Amino acid sequence: METTTSITFITGGVRSGKSSFAERIAIQKAEEIGGSLHYIATGRATDSEMRLRIKRHQEDRNKSGHSWKTWEKETNISTLATEFNKKDVILLDCLTTMLSNELFAHEADWVEQRLEKKEVFQRIWQGIKEIADYSNQVVLVSNEVLNEPILPNELLVTYSELLGKLHQKIVRYAESAYLVEAGVPLLMKMHVQKGG
Amino acid sequence: MHFVTGGAFNGKKAWVKDNYACAKWISFYDGDKLPKTLENSSSQRIVFEGVERWTKESLEKMTIDEARAHLRNCLDQWLEWENAKANRSMIIIGADIMKGIVPMQKEERDWRDLTGWFYQDLARRSKRVDVIWYGINQTIKMGE
Repeated sequence: METTTSITFITGGVRSGKSSFAERIAIQKAEEIGGSLHYIATGRATDSEMRLRIKRHQEDRNKSGHSWKTWEKETNISTLATEFNKKDVILLDCLTTMLSNELFAHEADWVEQRLEKKEVFQRIWQGIKEIADYSNQVVLVSNEVLNEPILPNELLVTYSELLGKLHQKIVRYAESAYLVEAGVPLLMKMHVQKGG
Repeated sequence: MHFVTGGAFNGKKAWVKDNYACAKWISFYDGDKLPKTLENSSSQRIVFEGVERWTKESLEKMTIDEARAHLRNCLDQWLEWENAKANRSMIIIGADIMKGIVPMQKEERDWRDLTGWFYQDLARRSKRVDVIWYGINQTIKMGE
């Protein structure tokens, strides 16, 4: 049996309700342990529409009667790890945005693509793992985007390969994994704790 | 016949390797052509990989209707080989490319249609069908 880490993985299509489900899971965990809620925002406020959406999401989260601390982090999330402790529940939404941030932040070195690929994978996976180690639980949201033809474009193929491999790695180590379909979460994996 | 599908980079190949040792692999990704017949095969267990690319390749040479008939014909021949001896088996891996927005270009639409139809043929005639989701398999058909 592989060791699992305190990660809950949630994925689904666009507007599938995965983010609201992820928030509910995070709130539930925080209530169980009497802990605090944290939100890592990976989106870039590149234009006014994006800024407005981010603001609305923040207001929605706080309106629910729970207070969230928001961390804006586009790349290198591992640098946040030491900010957290065992009473913290972290919601990270979403992995696809983080992956594009990581890839495009280093677009200039794209010639060194093969090297870069491994590095990006490690940077993201280590970041998630470190945050999971420091905190009580990481609830990780991602997207289902690998069920259509991948365009014959090197960057897109790399993006898809990295996302698929990250998902595989995360699911292998996660305590639980869900696929959300039209607001209905399907449990794909649940690690049952032995002994006690 | 066992049909294994799922999205790209979801760990389909690794899952098949874990579950079926000692098989002969016929892979588009290794430059193999889609075999019309398996009669000359020395191995009793054959894995086909990259069906979604062979469907695309066949559309370069024929119309979608011809391609569909051609693929069905291949499938008949393979099944004939498999059914001829009890210890023979085939595992067929095809990536799910059917869940995106309808493509603008006709060739892309044809590719998607042909692949979806062929997967239905494969699933209908398979004893077992699994969908691989990031390394986790979900058995969606299990015959006796």
